[in-house]
Amino acid sequence: MTEHAIVVRHLSKSFGQLEVLHNIDLEIEQGQATCVIGPSGSGKSTFLRCLAFLEEATAGTIEVYGKPLGFSQDSAGRRVRLNSASIRAVRSGIGMVFQQFNLWPHMTALGNVSEALKTVRGIPRAEAEERAMIQLRKIGLENRAGHYPAQLSGGQQQRVAIARALALEPRIMLFDEATASLDPELTGEVLNVMRTLATDGMTMVIVTHEIGFAASIGRKIAFLDKGRLLLAGSAQEVFGKPRNPRIDQFLDTYLDRGAAMLI
Amino acid sequence: MRFDLALVASRLPEIFHALGITLVVWIASLIASGIFGFFVAVGRRFGPRWLDYSLGAYVELFRGTPFLIQLFLLYFGGPYVGLSLNAIPAGILGLSIYGAAYFSEIFRTGFEAVPRGHVEAGECVGMNRPQIVLRILLPEMTMLVLPASVNMSIILLKETAVMSVITVPELTLTISAIGTEFYAFVESLFLLALFYWSLVEICGWLGRVGESRLSRYRFAQS
Amino acid sequence: MTFTLFGLLLEAAIYTVVISGISIVVGFVIGMGVAAARLSTHKWLAIPARVFVSFFRGVPLLVQLLLIYNLLPAIGVNVPSVVAAVVGLSLCTAAYQAENLRGGFASVPRGMLEAADMVGLSRFQQLVRIRAPIAFRLTLPALINEAILILKASSLVSVVGVVELTRMAQDLDTSLYKPLQLYSAAGLLYFVINRAVAAAGKYAERRMAWGRA
Repeated sequence: MTEHAIVVRHLSKSFGQLEVLHNIDLEIEQGQATCVIGPSGSGKSTFLRCLAFLEEATAGTIEVYGKPLGFSQDSAGRRVRLNSASIRAVRSGIGMVFQQFNLWPHMTALGNVSEALKTVRGIPRAEAEERAMIQLRKIGLENRAGHYPAQLSGGQQQRVAIARALALEPRIMLFDEATASLDPELTGEVLNVMRTLATDGMTMVIVTHEIGFAASIGRKIAFLDKGRLLLAGSAQEVFGKPRNPRIDQFLDTYLDRGAAMLI
Repeated sequence: MRFDLALVASRLPEIFHALGITLVVWIASLIASGIFGFFVAVGRRFGPRWLDYSLGAYVELFRGTPFLIQLFLLYFGGPYVGLSLNAIPAGILGLSIYGAAYFSEIFRTGFEAVPRGHVEAGECVGMNRPQIVLRILLPEMTMLVLPASVNMSIILLKETAVMSVITVPELTLTISAIGTEFYAFVESLFLLALFYWSLVEICGWLGRVGESRLSRYRFAQS
Repeated sequence: MTFTLFGLLLEAAIYTVVISGISIVVGFVIGMGVAAARLSTHKWLAIPARVFVSFFRGVPLLVQLLLIYNLLPAIGVNVPSVVAAVVGLSLCTAAYQAENLRGGFASVPRGMLEAADMVGLSRFQQLVRIRAPIAFRLTLPALINEAILILKASSLVSVVGVVELTRMAQDLDTSLYKPLQLYSAAGLLYFVINRAVAAAGKYAERRMAWGRA
């Protein structure tokens, strides 16, 4: 029985009057890639950011390997905000890759990857840089270690960003539209790294609009529409015919985006 | 330290006269430097290479040297080249030349900031140079240069104080003279500071109002 | 213009640079404090900081200098006029630098701080390792600009009796009656100094380019 890496219950998020996520229940399984897809504005990025606690949900709970993230329910069923130490503790098992890469411009690739090892984990510089080099080697950028982000292509920057997250040996990796900012010919190198991660058994939550990729890598597909979880299941269940009309509608807009191979 | 309001009251007409001088000098210089600066910007942007370079030299020189030195050159050095001006005209001329250098840069940036695509669209529908400048560049520029122009106007207002050194009877000279007369330096200078501070805040507020009024013309793209 | 005359002006120019340099550095330190106060959530810090910035940007520097020059002795602080001048210049530049720093810190892209959050950097570590370096780099052009402005503004301390470049030219003019030559030479010196600072700024910017073309 696969353990749930993340359990999301009744998750809702509003920005003022605007409700962006409504009552989402989802389990993220350990050792698998779960892909979150949906039209623009469906709230999938917001959902992922809630998992990272970069946004605070306005209702509902998130549990990571049984430990509550940010909010827990007390005996009376009310939401209780946890302290920042507990948040940081839970978060330390989660790594995040952003659409905008967010590499720190004043550090080299090696500097970016080793920074948290040095500053947060207190690992001495030489060892931290060694570990960072191992990560860079895994993604094939060891000879770019001394380069600054401005000297790297988009695909290279994103791969360094992935290495930076992996250096901390997280149990879960979150990807927020990791290839959306890349030129088409550069998405491949990033998708390959993600594919390798998935094959190696990393628990991943991937928000993407690369439908073909999602279908091929995702053991579970979650379809979000207007803040609600419409459907969650295997690729076959979500994309197989007979299809939910909303999914049909959605896929229609993606006809030449790799979805064709599903039909 | 004592603040005798009765003393201040007795010299109120003088103070208001000085305020008037400050405002007149400021507005006159503002208009002159705005106009002159605009033509310098146009000349540099659309004129021949040599014009760009020579006007560029003027701009660099007058932005790279202190205003006080420029005033001294004009007021004390002027007579040696046949330019004998009284204090107020010298002040206005000096501030105008100084301000024009800055305004020309503001307008030059404004020209560049209008998206090239908008100009190209004008060319494609057959507009000629003057039409493009008048119907596209100028209107779009106005919104873009407004914040910087308001800023510059405030800077020029504050620079009028420097003219006191060449005996222009504006606020600074007048109020500090009153202060000397009544042996109340600090009080009078505080009063002076308050005057300018209020003027600057008012101008800043007016500028913000103007900007928000014009903001409905803001671009959809940048 | 004789050699000795120019030599005198040159000496005074160096004095100008020294006065300006000290004011810029002191102003930067004060400016950091004011910027921090401005951003603080404590009202008793934030509001005086706002007033400070508003006052020192809203009042002409000349008036500020005159005020401080007369105020210090009046409250019993008797210092040489150059000290009063430096205090005046520093406070003035502090207000502008505070605003520049505020802008610089605000411009640090939020995503970089989120990434720092995700790898576990604490608030303080983020401030020191990420926000400060990036903010400083963003503020650098404004800082250089401010340095040049202070160099020009320093000419006003001549009015409170400090014998820097402008005052030297004035004094020489009083005895020699050569305003065109003297003030042109002074102007030229100011111009050259400013250019040098601008060039130094460009060099610093390139050094901190972090790989950008």
